[in-house]
Amino acid sequence: MTGLILSWSVWAALVVLAMAFLLTVWRVVKGPTLADRVVALDMLTGIVIGFIALIAIRTGFTLYIDIAISLGLVGFLATVAFARFILSRGRPARPKPAELAEALLAPAATRKKKTDTKRKGGTGPAVRRKGGK
Amino acid sequence: MIAGLLDLLTALLVLSGAAFALVAAIGLVRLPDLYTRMHAASKAGTVGSGLLLLAVGVHSAELPVLARALAGFFFFVLTAPVSAHLLAMAAHKVGYRLCEQSIRDDMND
Amino acid sequence: MITFVLSLTFAFVWAAITGSATLHNLILGFALATLALWIVRDEMSCRGYFGRLGRIFSLLLLFFKELALSAWKVATLVVRRDMDLKPGIFAYPLTVTSDFEITLLANLITLTPGTLSVDVSPDRKTLYVHAIDCADIEATKRDIADGFERKIMEAFR
Repeated sequence: MTGLILSWSVWAALVVLAMAFLLTVWRVVKGPTLADRVVALDMLTGIVIGFIALIAIRTGFTLYIDIAISLGLVGFLATVAFARFILSRGRPARPKPAELAEALLAPAATRKKKTDTKRKGGTGPAVRRKGGK
Repeated sequence: MIAGLLDLLTALLVLSGAAFALVAAIGLVRLPDLYTRMHAASKAGTVGSGLLLLAVGVHSAELPVLARALAGFFFFVLTAPVSAHLLAMAAHKVGYRLCEQSIRDDMND
Repeated sequence: MITFVLSLTFAFVWAAITGSATLHNLILGFALATLALWIVRDEMSCRGYFGRLGRIFSLLLLFFKELALSAWKVATLVVRRDMDLKPGIFAYPLTVTSDFEITLLANLITLTPGTLSVDVSPDRKTLYVHAIDCADIEATKRDIADGFERKIMEAFR
């Protein structure tokens, strides 16, 4: 009886996780800026870890826990590396097509967002030249 | 009896973990800017995958497996704020703006 | 510190005597050593150790409570129809000074309801925190100061 409840709830959780996965992928595809995509990818790693955990419950292979932990480690390192990359690239994304998407999501907001940013002293132009390619 | 109770607990953990993951994904789609999205991903997302991992440990009903699941849970809970913090710091330094609804920004002095 | 090393040594002795060095046997040995040392706490003059252990434990408990609360709060926020947010970044004046304490506080803040630490000022006096609801900053600051910061100071000083 309880086994039946468990297997049904694992199924339900798989479906729910699949929905979460699709929503997050939508954000990865849409994501106006690189940082948005990185956040979504981080979240994606978390969801995949959830999938692995569910598979571990279904199959009974507890070795999957180790896989989940190492995936978490890889995801964490990837996010850290992306953060360093964003920092070193030093250029905010151009919110051109993004403005439309954001205006649809949050009507009264994000109209006059522009790429005017504070830059660190002398490094500005060089960084911009590299990023502008 | 014990096995049935463990099954029920596992079912509860699995369902709530998946629900939190879904909520985090909805937040990721609906919230207006990078920083608020980070709130959803770093809290609800972490709790979601952590609960699912915990469910594996409870379901196996073995101490070593539970210990490993707990270690994984702590690992996620400890790394999530670090990566969120790094990303937020990098984004703000580079000049990603807060959304227009934001009412203050003490960092832009 | 010396008490901790002593309990660790006792734990290894326990594992050697019982003849199995598995993880839970070590943990059991450690717990037994701590219990034994606690019994002779007055003779060893290590009262502070157990008080500190208790305070670290209470910090951990507070942390899990806040984590659950925060996930729940994000959940209710996200499924609301109208997204009436007032996000913003506020400066939080730090009382704790060492690197370890600041790191711990920043991580705890990130996992509590509605707040996310963004950056530390170069002089380590202020922590910049992004809050999802900036309507009442003073209350948020007071919560952090009376909750986590006080507990961290109690546990690690």
